[in-house]
Amino acid sequence: MASHLSYGRVNLNILREAARKELREFLDKCAGSKAIVWDEYLTGPFGLIAQYSLLKEHEVEKMFTLKPGRLPVADVKNIIFFVRPRLELMDIIAENVVSEDRQRSPRDLHILFVPRRSLLCEQRLKERGVLASFINIDEYILDLIPYDGDLLSMESESAFRECYLENDQTSLYHTAKGLMTLQALYGTIPQIFGKGESARHVANMMLRMKREFAGSQNQILPVFDTLLLLDRNVDLLTPLATQLTYEGLIDEIYGITNGYVKLPPEKFSQKKQGEGGKDLPTEPKKLQLNSAEELYAEIRDKNFNAVGAVLSKKAKIISAAFEERHNAKTVGEIKQFVSQLPHMQAARSSLANHTSIAELIKDITTSEAFFDNLTVEQEFMTGVDTDKVNSYIEDCIAQKDPLIKILRLVCMQSVCNNGLKQKVLDHYKREILQTYGYEHILTLSNLEKTGLLKPQIGTRNNYPTIRKTLKLWMEDVNEQNPNDISYVYSGFAPLSVRLAQLLARPGWRSIEEVLKMLPGPHFEERQQLPSGLHKKRQQGENRTTLVFFLGGVTYAEIAALRFLSQMEEGGTEYVIATTKLINGTSWIKSLMDKLEAPPF
Amino acid sequence: FYVRASYREGKLEARLAALQSAVDEYNKAKNEFAAKATEEQMRLLRFQRRMQEEFDRPFMDYSLQETLHSLLMEGRIRPAEQLYKDFRIPDKRYWWLKISALAEKEDWEELEKF
Repeated sequence: MASHLSYGRVNLNILREAARKELREFLDKCAGSKAIVWDEYLTGPFGLIAQYSLLKEHEVEKMFTLKPGRLPVADVKNIIFFVRPRLELMDIIAENVVSEDRQRSPRDLHILFVPRRSLLCEQRLKERGVLASFINIDEYILDLIPYDGDLLSMESESAFRECYLENDQTSLYHTAKGLMTLQALYGTIPQIFGKGESARHVANMMLRMKREFAGSQNQILPVFDTLLLLDRNVDLLTPLATQLTYEGLIDEIYGITNGYVKLPPEKFSQKKQGEGGKDLPTEPKKLQLNSAEELYAEIRDKNFNAVGAVLSKKAKIISAAFEERHNAKTVGEIKQFVSQLPHMQAARSSLANHTSIAELIKDITTSEAFFDNLTVEQEFMTGVDTDKVNSYIEDCIAQKDPLIKILRLVCMQSVCNNGLKQKVLDHYKREILQTYGYEHILTLSNLEKTGLLKPQIGTRNNYPTIRKTLKLWMEDVNEQNPNDISYVYSGFAPLSVRLAQLLARPGWRSIEEVLKMLPGPHFEERQQLPSGLHKKRQQGENRTTLVFFLGGVTYAEIAALRFLSQMEEGGTEYVIATTKLINGTSWIKSLMDKLEAPPF
Repeated sequence: FYVRASYREGKLEARLAALQSAVDEYNKAKNEFAAKATEEQMRLLRFQRRMQEEFDRPFMDYSLQETLHSLLMEGRIRPAEQLYKDFRIPDKRYWWLKISALAEKEDWEELEKF
């Protein structure tokens, strides 16, 4: 079921098992039948840890979503609330509990806070006079959720906003805690590198927590050699660009949440054609995407332009395999063929799915609008006319294209120009306010606070220097058989991944100058290992680095790191962790402020 | 902060007052751009109310662009032209808007006159 988690260099299934064990222990604490009331946001991440079947084994009979008003009727002994520690959710729970009392049914109430209990929330429950009704108040520490064989995410949507806009470091604390859990399972990580303000904070917290545990030495042979902490605001540019890997494009166009994607159903209805197409599915088709699917593992990180060739090659192989049956003469041969059938059929349906998805994406990537947008992005990234008002953006505003698209482009121009001239910036802002409404003034100011949008002050534009030194733009990319990470954006190499690459070889000392231009401090820490645990490295054995993106990571960046892992001369394998998987759209959205006026 | 508050006000007068406070705060903070934009917003709200009374259909809280669009769609060229001048809308955007509005209501004659 979760076999894809253990394929990788580091067996992440251990982490998942630990998380499941803790969940089981809590459920067993509440004896008897149970109903779970879910904070809706948590259901997705929990699905990655434990399926319904596991809950059922522990006498969970009903599940509800948390809603104001009365709880639905259920004949169970326990009611458990699974919630994030948010004040507004406490109010809903209080409302639930109060209306419950009136029914006078003797039920045991429990709360499970994910990932931490909070004094503030308990205080709120007390104020509402319901705190005493709860038998158990507990926390379920779910910081890092295993997402794939080499990918961990905290699935904390607002981490970037909290850290860089609201100066709230709660999520950094969770990060540090999560890394401590990881170290408890996989051994102390001897080397820590980092770049950025938040990275510094997390590292400090980790070192402090380690000192607090000074008595107990971790006796596990370390699995990770290095931890690299990267602030998202060190590389604001990458998520703004449109991702061009297969998985990245699926995310850009349809959005992937918790490893699932919802697709328009029309393309997937072939099977029902026999019925005269009378009931076309109207529900969007939901597909799970991870490396457990052989074909997907192969194509997910390829540049989209290389996907078609792989798919058609696969199609030929599969149909050839099916043809084999005519050659099967002896009973033994037939038996062998039949034993392969289920596997072949799975491969065929997976191929059909991905061909359909690829067709859907192709319709979009070949459209004129997509091409124009990409052209402008690439102009900005190569530094063409970034200091003037861009006429494509003006046209898009005039035609009232989606606001997020505009914001992505304007921010991108600002980042590539190290800020826009006051006049240019004001012009864009006026155009946006007049077209989309004055309420967006708050969103614009949020973008300015996070540095995505800024006026150019005095200093000259250092982006070209950064671009040249770090080789962020590569001419002649080979999309089919890439030889550099820049293939993931068809020419643009993600700055964040370049930093990781240079850290492995030749080391950051060589790019000291550029590092100084990027925001935040860079640092290196060492954690002492008990003697005897120093790894004796065998000749040719790869190092393992955990790269942690504070504030989110895109699928294209993940693809680039996987590409580096596979490079023979690279010598380093990467495991990726982040606060949230993002793309430019979801990222900008998390920074927007929505105001809705009451009607007059 | 005042901007947020202004969106909670149901009445126009209260909303304008809140926005005026926002303008004052922006001025104190030397955020010229925001102050000017907010003043513009107030002017638009007043204009929209006048339109609403005159033509007896909702205009409030449309963005400037939407206001113009609906004016043009109804063939009320004059108030639209006035808005265009008052708010110093760049020509390019105004022409885009006008063409798309005219095309949408299939007023080919007016489009011809362009």
